[in-house]
Amino acid sequence: MTDDLTLLRAVHDMYDTLDPPPVDLADRVLFTLELEDLEFELMRLREADQLVGARGPETASTVTFSAESLTVMVTVSDSGPQRRRIDGWIAPGGALRVELRTPRGVHETQADADGRFAFAEVPSGLVQIMIHPTTGATVPLHRPVVTPPVQL
Amino acid sequence: MTSATSDDTGVGVASWEVAAREFAAWRAGDRAALDRLVRLLTPVLWHLVRAYGLDRESAEDVVQTTWLALVRNVDSVRDPQAVLRWTTTTARREAWRTARAGKRVDVAEPQTLDAALPPVGGPDTTVLAGRTARTLWRHIAELSERCQRLLRVIAFEDRPDYASLSSELGIAVGSIGPTRGRCLDKLRGLLAADPEWSDQRD
Repeated sequence: MTDDLTLLRAVHDMYDTLDPPPVDLADRVLFTLELEDLEFELMRLREADQLVGARGPETASTVTFSAESLTVMVTVSDSGPQRRRIDGWIAPGGALRVELRTPRGVHETQADADGRFAFAEVPSGLVQIMIHPTTGATVPLHRPVVTPPVQL
Repeated sequence: MTSATSDDTGVGVASWEVAAREFAAWRAGDRAALDRLVRLLTPVLWHLVRAYGLDRESAEDVVQTTWLALVRNVDSVRDPQAVLRWTTTTARREAWRTARAGKRVDVAEPQTLDAALPPVGGPDTTVLAGRTARTLWRHIAELSERCQRLLRVIAFEDRPDYASLSSELGIAVGSIGPTRGRCLDKLRGLLAADPEWSDQRD
Protein backbone atom coordinates (compact mmCIF):
# COMPACT_ATOMS: atom_id res chain seq x y z
CA MET A 1 0.00 0.00 0.00
CA THR A 2 1.26 3.41 -0.97
CA ASP A 3 1.64 5.70 2.02
CA ASP A 4 0.28 9.27 2.10
CA LEU A 5 3.56 10.94 1.34
CA THR A 6 4.33 8.76 -1.64
CA LEU A 7 0.84 9.22 -2.97
CA LEU A 8 0.93 13.01 -2.58
CA ARG A 9 4.31 13.09 -4.25
CA ALA A 10 2.84 11.14 -7.16
CA VAL A 11 -0.07 13.62 -7.34
CA HIS A 12 2.40 16.50 -7.31
CA ASP A 13 4.51 15.02 -10.11
CA MET A 14 1.45 14.07 -12.13
CA TYR A 15 0.13 17.63 -12.17
CA ASP A 16 3.59 18.98 -12.94
CA THR A 17 3.77 16.60 -15.88
CA LEU A 18 0.27 16.95 -17.30
CA ASP A 19 -0.71 20.51 -16.39
CA PRO A 20 2.50 22.50 -16.04
CA PRO A 21 2.54 26.29 -15.81
CA PRO A 22 3.28 28.11 -19.07
CA VAL A 23 7.05 28.09 -19.45
CA ASP A 24 7.29 31.87 -19.57
CA LEU A 25 4.77 32.70 -16.86
CA ALA A 26 7.40 33.83 -14.35
CA ASP A 27 9.07 35.95 -17.06
CA ARG A 28 5.79 37.64 -17.80
CA VAL A 29 5.12 38.28 -14.11
CA LEU A 30 8.56 39.85 -13.75
CA PHE A 31 8.03 41.96 -16.88
CA THR A 32 4.98 43.52 -15.22
CA LEU A 33 6.73 43.96 -11.88
CA GLU A 34 9.48 45.96 -13.60
CA LEU A 35 7.03 48.82 -14.12
CA GLU A 36 8.20 51.63 -11.94
CA ASP A 37 4.80 52.92 -11.02
CA LEU A 38 2.51 50.12 -9.93
CA GLU A 39 -0.50 52.39 -9.68
CA PHE A 40 -2.44 50.89 -12.57
CA GLU A 41 -5.24 48.47 -13.32
CA LEU A 42 -4.16 45.12 -14.74
CA MET A 43 -6.40 44.17 -17.62
CA ARG A 44 -7.66 40.66 -18.05
CA LEU A 45 -7.29 38.54 -21.10
CA ARG A 46 -10.81 38.03 -22.38
CA GLU A 47 -10.41 36.01 -25.52
CA ALA A 48 -7.82 34.98 -28.02
CA ASP A 49 -8.67 33.57 -31.40
CA GLN A 50 -5.61 31.40 -31.23
CA LEU A 51 -2.94 30.66 -28.73
CA VAL A 52 -1.16 33.79 -27.72
CA GLY A 53 2.40 33.43 -28.72
CA ALA A 54 1.69 31.17 -31.66
CA ARG A 55 4.67 31.48 -33.90
CA GLY A 56 5.43 30.85 -37.51
CA PRO A 57 4.98 32.67 -40.75
CA GLU A 58 1.71 34.25 -41.78
CA THR A 59 0.28 34.29 -38.33
CA ALA A 60 -2.20 36.90 -37.28
CA SER A 61 -4.03 36.66 -34.03
CA THR A 62 -6.52 38.76 -32.20
CA VAL A 63 -6.61 39.16 -28.46
CA THR A 64 -9.09 41.10 -26.37
CA PHE A 65 -8.27 42.56 -22.97
CA SER A 66 -10.68 44.19 -20.60
CA ALA A 67 -10.47 46.62 -17.74
CA GLU A 68 -13.32 48.04 -15.69
CA SER A 69 -13.86 51.01 -17.94
CA LEU A 70 -12.64 49.89 -21.37
CA THR A 71 -11.62 47.00 -23.56
CA VAL A 72 -8.87 46.84 -26.11
CA MET A 73 -8.79 44.50 -29.06
CA VAL A 74 -5.34 43.83 -30.42
CA THR A 75 -4.48 42.19 -33.72
CA VAL A 76 -0.94 41.07 -34.30
CA SER A 77 0.37 40.33 -37.77
CA ASP A 78 3.74 39.85 -39.40
CA SER A 79 5.52 42.87 -40.83
CA GLY A 80 8.81 41.24 -41.69
CA PRO A 81 11.27 38.71 -40.35
CA GLN A 82 11.12 38.83 -36.55
CA ARG A 83 8.87 41.85 -36.86
CA ARG A 84 5.26 42.24 -35.93
CA ARG A 85 2.62 44.84 -36.54
CA ILE A 86 0.11 45.64 -33.84
CA ASP A 87 -3.28 47.15 -34.60
CA GLY A 88 -5.36 48.10 -31.60
CA TRP A 89 -8.86 49.32 -31.01
CA ILE A 90 -9.92 50.78 -27.71
CA ALA A 91 -13.60 50.79 -26.83
CA PRO A 92 -15.22 53.07 -25.97
CA GLY A 93 -13.16 55.01 -28.49
CA GLY A 94 -11.09 57.97 -27.42
CA ALA A 95 -7.83 59.73 -28.20
CA LEU A 96 -5.86 58.09 -25.43
CA ARG A 97 -2.11 57.93 -25.09
CA VAL A 98 -0.86 54.39 -25.67
CA GLU A 99 2.51 52.93 -24.76
CA LEU A 100 3.98 49.67 -25.92
CA ARG A 101 6.59 48.20 -23.61
CA THR A 102 9.14 45.87 -25.14
CA PRO A 103 12.33 44.45 -23.65
CA ARG A 104 14.18 46.98 -25.81
CA GLY A 105 12.28 50.07 -24.89
CA VAL A 106 8.99 51.85 -24.99
CA HIS A 107 7.09 52.95 -28.09
CA GLU A 108 4.44 55.60 -27.79
CA THR A 109 1.50 56.66 -29.90
CA GLN A 110 -1.90 58.23 -29.58
CA ALA A 111 -5.17 56.57 -30.49
CA ASP A 112 -7.47 58.44 -32.84
CA ALA A 113 -10.91 59.65 -31.78
CA ASP A 114 -12.32 56.21 -32.56
CA GLY A 115 -9.78 54.55 -30.31
CA ARG A 116 -7.69 53.04 -33.08
CA PHE A 117 -3.92 52.87 -32.85
CA ALA A 118 -1.05 50.95 -34.43
CA PHE A 119 2.58 50.07 -33.90
CA ALA A 120 4.10 49.23 -37.26
CA GLU A 121 7.31 47.40 -36.45
CA VAL A 122 7.64 45.60 -33.19
CA PRO A 123 10.39 43.08 -32.50
CA SER A 124 9.17 39.67 -31.41
CA GLY A 125 9.31 38.93 -27.72
CA LEU A 126 7.36 40.07 -24.69
CA VAL A 127 5.24 43.17 -25.08
CA GLN A 128 2.76 44.95 -22.90
CA ILE A 129 0.34 47.74 -23.76
CA MET A 130 -0.30 50.59 -21.38
CA ILE A 131 -3.16 53.04 -21.90
CA HIS A 132 -2.87 56.32 -20.02
CA PRO A 133 -5.37 58.86 -18.75
CA THR A 134 -5.18 61.60 -21.37
CA THR A 135 -6.25 65.21 -21.18
CA GLY A 136 -8.92 65.98 -23.71
CA ALA A 137 -9.86 62.36 -24.38
CA THR A 138 -13.55 61.56 -24.17
CA VAL A 139 -12.79 58.44 -22.12
CA PRO A 140 -12.06 59.35 -18.52
CA LEU A 141 -9.48 57.06 -16.95
CA HIS A 142 -8.52 57.43 -13.32
CA ARG A 143 -5.28 55.53 -13.67
CA PRO A 144 -3.43 53.73 -16.46
CA VAL A 145 -4.65 50.33 -17.57
CA VAL A 146 -2.05 47.74 -18.49
CA THR A 147 -2.39 44.46 -20.36
CA PRO A 148 -0.63 41.38 -19.08
CA PRO A 149 2.53 40.81 -21.14
CA VAL A 150 2.15 38.57 -24.18
CA GLN A 151 4.70 36.93 -26.43
CA LEU A 152 4.76 38.19 -29.98
CA MET B 1 6.95 27.48 12.38
CA THR B 2 8.86 24.57 13.73
CA SER B 3 9.86 22.29 10.93
CA ALA B 4 12.08 22.96 7.99
CA THR B 5 11.00 22.96 4.38
CA SER B 6 8.57 20.18 3.75
CA ASP B 7 9.41 17.57 6.32
CA ASP B 8 5.83 16.85 7.13
CA THR B 9 4.63 16.19 3.63
CA GLY B 10 7.80 15.32 1.82
CA VAL B 11 6.19 16.20 -1.48
CA GLY B 12 8.84 18.63 -2.58
CA VAL B 13 6.84 21.79 -2.17
CA ALA B 14 8.55 25.15 -2.20
CA SER B 15 10.41 25.91 0.95
CA TRP B 16 9.12 28.73 3.10
CA GLU B 17 12.66 29.20 4.32
CA VAL B 18 14.05 29.87 0.86
CA ALA B 19 11.08 32.12 0.10
CA ALA B 20 11.67 34.02 3.36
CA ARG B 21 15.35 34.47 2.58
CA GLU B 22 14.71 35.82 -0.93
CA PHE B 23 11.93 38.07 0.31
CA ALA B 24 14.17 39.53 3.03
CA ALA B 25 17.00 40.03 0.53
CA TRP B 26 14.67 41.81 -1.87
CA ARG B 27 13.37 44.05 0.90
CA ALA B 28 16.96 44.85 1.74
CA GLY B 29 17.48 46.11 -1.80
CA ASP B 30 18.54 43.06 -3.81
CA ARG B 31 16.41 43.28 -6.93
CA ALA B 32 17.58 39.88 -8.21
CA ALA B 33 16.10 38.26 -5.12
CA LEU B 34 12.61 39.21 -6.31
CA ASP B 35 13.40 37.52 -9.59
CA ARG B 36 14.36 34.33 -7.74
CA LEU B 37 11.30 34.53 -5.48
CA VAL B 38 8.96 34.84 -8.46
CA ARG B 39 10.61 31.92 -10.23
CA LEU B 40 10.46 29.82 -7.09
CA LEU B 41 6.81 30.39 -6.26
CA THR B 42 5.07 30.98 -9.58
CA PRO B 43 4.75 27.25 -10.39
CA VAL B 44 3.30 26.62 -6.93
CA LEU B 45 0.77 29.42 -7.35
CA TRP B 46 -0.15 28.07 -10.77
CA HIS B 47 -1.06 24.66 -9.38
CA LEU B 48 -2.98 26.09 -6.45
CA VAL B 49 -4.99 28.34 -8.72
CA ARG B 50 -5.69 25.56 -11.21
CA ALA B 51 -7.03 23.49 -8.30
CA TYR B 52 -10.00 25.85 -8.29
CA GLY B 53 -10.93 24.87 -11.81
CA LEU B 54 -9.97 28.10 -13.59
CA ASP B 55 -9.02 27.82 -17.24
CA ARG B 56 -5.44 28.57 -18.15
CA GLU B 57 -5.98 32.22 -19.12
CA SER B 58 -7.85 33.01 -15.91
CA ALA B 59 -5.23 31.14 -13.92
CA GLU B 60 -2.51 33.30 -15.45
CA ASP B 61 -4.48 36.43 -14.57
CA VAL B 62 -4.76 35.30 -10.96
CA VAL B 63 -1.05 34.53 -10.69
CA GLN B 64 -0.18 37.98 -12.09
CA THR B 65 -2.66 39.65 -9.78
CA THR B 66 -1.21 37.84 -6.77
CA TRP B 67 2.31 39.04 -7.45
CA LEU B 68 1.14 42.58 -8.03
CA ALA B 69 -0.74 42.42 -4.74
CA LEU B 70 2.41 41.30 -2.94
CA VAL B 71 4.56 44.08 -4.38
CA ARG B 72 1.89 46.69 -3.75
CA ASN B 73 1.20 45.54 -0.21
CA VAL B 74 4.68 44.57 0.73
CA ASP B 75 4.45 46.35 4.05
CA SER B 76 1.65 44.08 5.13
CA VAL B 77 4.09 41.16 5.14
CA ARG B 78 5.89 42.10 8.32
CA ASP B 79 7.65 38.80 8.82
CA PRO B 80 9.58 37.42 5.82
CA GLN B 81 8.76 33.93 7.07
CA ALA B 82 5.14 34.61 6.26
CA VAL B 83 5.69 35.40 2.60
CA LEU B 84 4.98 31.89 1.32
CA ARG B 85 1.73 31.67 3.20
CA TRP B 86 0.78 35.23 2.23
CA THR B 87 1.17 34.54 -1.49
CA THR B 88 -0.40 31.09 -1.50
CA THR B 89 -3.38 32.21 0.56
CA THR B 90 -3.86 35.31 -1.59
CA ALA B 91 -3.71 33.24 -4.78
CA ARG B 92 -6.19 30.66 -3.50
CA ARG B 93 -8.58 33.32 -2.30
CA GLU B 94 -8.47 35.16 -5.62
CA ALA B 95 -8.87 31.90 -7.54
CA TRP B 96 -11.84 30.91 -5.41
CA ARG B 97 -13.41 34.34 -5.86
CA THR B 98 -12.92 34.21 -9.63
CA ALA B 99 -14.29 30.68 -9.86
CA ARG B 100 -17.34 31.61 -7.82
CA ALA B 101 -18.00 34.56 -10.07
CA GLY B 102 -18.55 31.85 -12.63
CA LYS B 103 -15.89 32.93 -15.02
CA ARG B 104 -14.52 30.43 -17.45
CA VAL B 105 -14.30 27.44 -15.28
CA ASP B 106 -12.49 24.67 -17.03
CA VAL B 107 -13.59 21.18 -16.19
CA ALA B 108 -11.98 19.66 -19.23
CA GLU B 109 -8.74 17.79 -19.47
CA PRO B 110 -5.62 19.89 -19.30
CA GLN B 111 -4.56 21.16 -22.69
CA THR B 112 -1.32 19.39 -22.28
CA LEU B 113 -2.69 15.95 -21.54
CA ASP B 114 -1.93 14.64 -24.98
CA ALA B 115 0.47 17.27 -26.21
CA ALA B 116 3.03 17.26 -23.45
CA LEU B 117 4.64 13.99 -22.79
CA PRO B 118 6.82 14.01 -19.74
CA PRO B 119 10.52 14.66 -19.94
CA VAL B 120 12.11 11.48 -21.14
CA GLY B 121 14.39 9.23 -19.29
CA GLY B 122 16.25 11.60 -16.99
CA PRO B 123 17.80 10.30 -13.84
CA ASP B 124 15.21 12.19 -11.81
CA THR B 125 13.11 9.45 -10.28
CA THR B 126 10.47 11.93 -9.15
CA VAL B 127 9.30 12.37 -12.71
CA LEU B 128 6.52 9.94 -13.39
CA ALA B 129 6.39 8.14 -16.64
CA GLY B 130 3.66 9.51 -18.87
CA ARG B 131 1.52 6.41 -18.69
CA THR B 132 1.66 6.38 -14.91
CA ALA B 133 0.71 10.05 -14.78
CA ARG B 134 -2.28 9.46 -17.03
CA THR B 135 -3.48 6.54 -14.95
CA LEU B 136 -3.30 8.70 -11.86
CA TRP B 137 -5.04 11.58 -13.62
CA ARG B 138 -7.88 9.30 -14.64
CA HIS B 139 -8.47 8.03 -11.12
CA ILE B 140 -8.24 11.46 -9.52
CA ALA B 141 -10.94 12.56 -11.94
CA GLU B 142 -13.21 9.95 -10.33
CA LEU B 143 -12.93 11.65 -6.93
CA SER B 144 -15.31 14.34 -5.77
CA GLU B 145 -14.52 17.89 -6.77
CA ARG B 146 -13.72 18.67 -3.15
CA CYS B 147 -11.22 15.81 -2.95
CA GLN B 148 -9.59 16.81 -6.21
CA ARG B 149 -9.15 20.38 -5.03
CA LEU B 150 -7.90 19.43 -1.60
CA LEU B 151 -5.37 16.93 -2.92
CA ARG B 152 -3.98 19.32 -5.49
CA VAL B 153 -3.65 22.06 -2.87
CA ILE B 154 -1.88 19.90 -0.32
CA ALA B 155 0.33 18.36 -2.98
CA PHE B 156 1.74 21.82 -3.66
CA GLU B 157 1.34 23.74 -0.44
CA ASP B 158 2.96 22.69 2.76
CA ARG B 159 0.62 23.47 5.67
CA PRO B 160 -2.01 25.52 3.86
CA ASP B 161 -3.89 28.02 5.94
CA TYR B 162 -6.80 25.94 7.20
CA ALA B 163 -9.12 28.87 7.88
CA SER B 164 -9.14 30.01 4.26
CA LEU B 165 -9.17 26.45 2.97
CA SER B 166 -12.15 25.73 5.17
CA SER B 167 -14.32 28.44 3.63
CA GLU B 168 -13.12 27.63 0.13
CA LEU B 169 -13.94 23.94 0.47
CA GLY B 170 -17.09 24.49 2.45
CA ILE B 171 -16.02 22.26 5.33
CA ALA B 172 -15.17 22.96 8.95
CA VAL B 173 -11.53 23.49 9.87
CA GLY B 174 -11.64 20.37 12.01
CA SER B 175 -12.85 18.31 9.07
CA ILE B 176 -9.98 19.13 6.74
CA GLY B 177 -7.62 16.55 8.21
CA PRO B 178 -10.17 13.70 8.16
CA THR B 179 -11.35 14.72 4.68
CA ARG B 180 -7.79 14.66 3.44
CA GLY B 181 -7.44 11.13 4.87
CA ARG B 182 -10.63 9.94 3.23
CA CYS B 183 -9.68 11.43 -0.14
CA LEU B 184 -6.29 9.75 -0.05
CA ASP B 185 -7.88 6.44 0.99
CA LYS B 186 -10.35 6.63 -1.84
CA LEU B 187 -7.60 7.31 -4.34
CA ARG B 188 -5.48 4.52 -2.92
CA GLY B 189 -8.41 2.13 -3.31
CA LEU B 190 -8.98 3.12 -6.92
CA LEU B 191 -5.31 2.68 -7.73
CA ALA B 192 -5.05 -0.64 -5.92
CA ALA B 193 -7.93 -1.98 -8.01
CA ASP B 194 -6.26 -0.95 -11.25
CA PRO B 195 -3.86 -3.60 -12.56
CA GLU B 196 -2.31 -1.02 -14.87
CA TRP B 197 -1.24 1.02 -11.86
CA SER B 198 0.31 -1.90 -9.99
CA ASP B 199 2.15 -2.96 -13.13
CA GLN B 200 3.61 0.48 -13.54
CA ARG B 201 4.61 0.93 -9.97
CA ASP B 202 6.35 -2.40 -9.60
